[in-house]
Amino acid sequence: MASSTQIPALEIDELTRDYPGVRAVDAVSFAIEPGTVHCLVGENGAGKSTLVKMITGALAPSAGSMRVNGKTHNPTNPQEARDNGIATLFQELHVVDELTVRENLTLGLEAKRFGFLIRSDLDDRVVKTLAAIEPSIDPAVRVSSLSVAQKQIVEIARAASSGASVIIMDEPTAALSEREVERLFEVIRRLKDNGVTVIYISHKLEEIFTLGDIVTVLRDGKHIATKPLVKVEGRPELIEMMIGRTVAHNYVPRPNPPGDVVLTARGLTNHLLKNVSFDIRKGEIVGFYGLVGAGKTEIARAIFAADSYDGEIIFKSQPVGHTPKDALAAGIALVPEERRTQGLFTAMSIRENIPVMNLPRMSKGGVFRADKEERAAHEFVSRLRIATDSIEKQTEKLSGGNQQKVVLAKCLFSQAELLLLDEPTRGVDVGAKTEIYDIIKSLADQDNTVAIFSSELEEVLGICDRIFLLYDGQLRAGIRNGDNVDTAQILDLVTGGSMQEDAA
Amino acid sequence: MTTLAVSPITARKHRRLSDQGFITVMVAVVAVLLFLLASVLVPNFFQLQNMINLVTNNWAVISLGVGVTFLLVSGNFDLSVGGNVALAGVLSVWLAQSTGGANTLSTGLGFPLPLALAGAMAGALAIGALNAFFVVRLGVPSIIVTLGTMMVARGLAQVITHGSQRNTNLPDGFGTLGNLTLFGTVKLPVVLMGMLLLVAVFIERRMLIGRVTYWVGANPVAATLSGIDRGRHVTRLYLFSAAIAGMVGILLASEFKSGFSNRGMLMEFDALVIALLGGVAIAGGFGSVIGMFFGAIILAVVTSAATGLVLSPDWQFILKAVAVFLAITAQTWALARRNR
Repeated sequence: MASSTQIPALEIDELTRDYPGVRAVDAVSFAIEPGTVHCLVGENGAGKSTLVKMITGALAPSAGSMRVNGKTHNPTNPQEARDNGIATLFQELHVVDELTVRENLTLGLEAKRFGFLIRSDLDDRVVKTLAAIEPSIDPAVRVSSLSVAQKQIVEIARAASSGASVIIMDEPTAALSEREVERLFEVIRRLKDNGVTVIYISHKLEEIFTLGDIVTVLRDGKHIATKPLVKVEGRPELIEMMIGRTVAHNYVPRPNPPGDVVLTARGLTNHLLKNVSFDIRKGEIVGFYGLVGAGKTEIARAIFAADSYDGEIIFKSQPVGHTPKDALAAGIALVPEERRTQGLFTAMSIRENIPVMNLPRMSKGGVFRADKEERAAHEFVSRLRIATDSIEKQTEKLSGGNQQKVVLAKCLFSQAELLLLDEPTRGVDVGAKTEIYDIIKSLADQDNTVAIFSSELEEVLGICDRIFLLYDGQLRAGIRNGDNVDTAQILDLVTGGSMQEDAA
Repeated sequence: MTTLAVSPITARKHRRLSDQGFITVMVAVVAVLLFLLASVLVPNFFQLQNMINLVTNNWAVISLGVGVTFLLVSGNFDLSVGGNVALAGVLSVWLAQSTGGANTLSTGLGFPLPLALAGAMAGALAIGALNAFFVVRLGVPSIIVTLGTMMVARGLAQVITHGSQRNTNLPDGFGTLGNLTLFGTVKLPVVLMGMLLLVAVFIERRMLIGRVTYWVGANPVAATLSGIDRGRHVTRLYLFSAAIAGMVGILLASEFKSGFSNRGMLMEFDALVIALLGGVAIAGGFGSVIGMFFGAIILAVVTSAATGLVLSPDWQFILKAVAVFLAITAQTWALARRNR
């Protein structure tokens, strides 16, 4: 394969990026050989996106340097990165539906004379590039008539014909069917034959093994390994590199045994979920763990009746109704995934946010109980230790952790028996994280039931009694937490592997 | 960490005026300053009767402003109120006119007066229901829906009056409501406006549905995920606003003893303008009825001072425009500065 005398397509040297309090990418160095498919893997938060943003000029590195084909690459914006031959295929497509394929390919590169468009050899060149990677697409048809996969290929052709030597693809198969994925892989192989280098990012490990030449593993912002995939001994080795041997594991089994089944879900199916069934018992903390797009949020929203679904959900031997209002009345509350857009009234104060999920308690003959509101605000500010100088503080101005506590306070005020927490500690500082975990544990100790939907393995292993593993809308397994949990096996399941040995 | 915790009592003492209160006070101060300025510039402006007139001459727009303010706070427009005033007025006349008049315009349906007024209210509420149906059920942006129903309502009024007005063959008591005076000189519609303002302020400040309006407008997604039935609430607000428009339409028709299809023309825009002058946020979640009231005073002072300065009435729109731009820019600037 690549000889050592070749100049790397992209060389990364001691690249570092700091955020306040966090080093997202920590002195990462590796080289990418030209004409290869180079895969980038790591858990959520390993530093992949930050690294890609630095390569494409969207973020400036705190330290370190990069070289493209031997020349210094120090882009201050995405256009400079493109000029240096680095193209990115974004998950959301940047094609113009109303134009033809040919017009899309030359968009922004048109030859002009006196303000009028003229034909140029550019047209022929882009059409030839497209024909080379995907002959079945007619350059004369409108892009609106193409499938998502074909549009993606048009974008790839545009990148390739603009002279990109490196194309970065971030989860390109997320929206594709199995057949379309194969087509995309053929296109990528043809690109490679034409000397283009592809940086391929995916959570789906089979794709990495099918397509990749070389893999680079990142973990906690650090470079773990770069090696040819033929030398990787299957999924277990790759997973071990991704998560390491030591997953912080401080789960303490809770003393009180779980009670009766309180919630039963049977055959949940919608645009993403595929026949998901499970039970949750009273007083339990259950976790739903999976990677981005595995279906966690969809399950939470289905239980809360915020989205429609096929199948049934029974809570305390009654079907949950059809609206969040019904779910709340039945005793279910949701802390949504996006606290600022879905959970908080950011323009309003802490006091004004807290009572919203329990209106019956706030009204006496239609009159709003301002006295109760104020008491509740003081109670929750001290009970959840929300750091503020006043209950009148606008929630917009609180830190992420304190905003999350206000959302939690809203739900607790509703006196729900089942709390659904979607990514409860995302973007929350370490101190507040621990406090939120303590709140969750004390809730379960008081016989409430908590379901946590998280893409952080450490989080679910830290506090959940049982963990459901999700991959691609399917519930792959349910395991009991404890000392004998095999983290490698969990990672294997949530990345699409099949169970190799029986779960404990 | 524990030293940071402030005891509830001290926190209470340090409570600042909320942004809401701040803007309302600011609008009131501007209204008073403008009035004093006009008093210096315009002869005979500074008179008690003139102050009273500023309010009483604008009872219709201020009443409509109440419904429009609630809807704006909930994140929705209501541009149908002006057309609805015309429709309700024309309906009340048409239903009450006796049968067998000399021509079509003097021939009505001959309903007893109470039934005719109830019919007019039903017509106005139907427009409100139409607004709610399109906005809530079909999810059409409210500015488009109510622009449409504004034309539907006025269009119906024009059909009923053949583009003109109906003012003959009316029962004796028809003109009573609009011309009745209480406490000596105050007309009934002005008293009703005063009562409406009191009720509205109570709903807004003290009742659960008042608070729900702010939640729905501040973040509709979070409101739904917090278990609020947003559709039902917005429906109620559209019916409330339509009921006010119906009342105003009936009172105006009674005052002039006529149903005129052009009545209430541009009132929807005046109602919107006074709400915005009064600090109601066009994006929803922020604003107050009291602010809207002072917004109406600002607009009234500007327009009546203009007349007093012997500016030709042609300049009224320009003056309104200047007042609106200045007031809204000042509010935006003041809020940004305060929250810096």
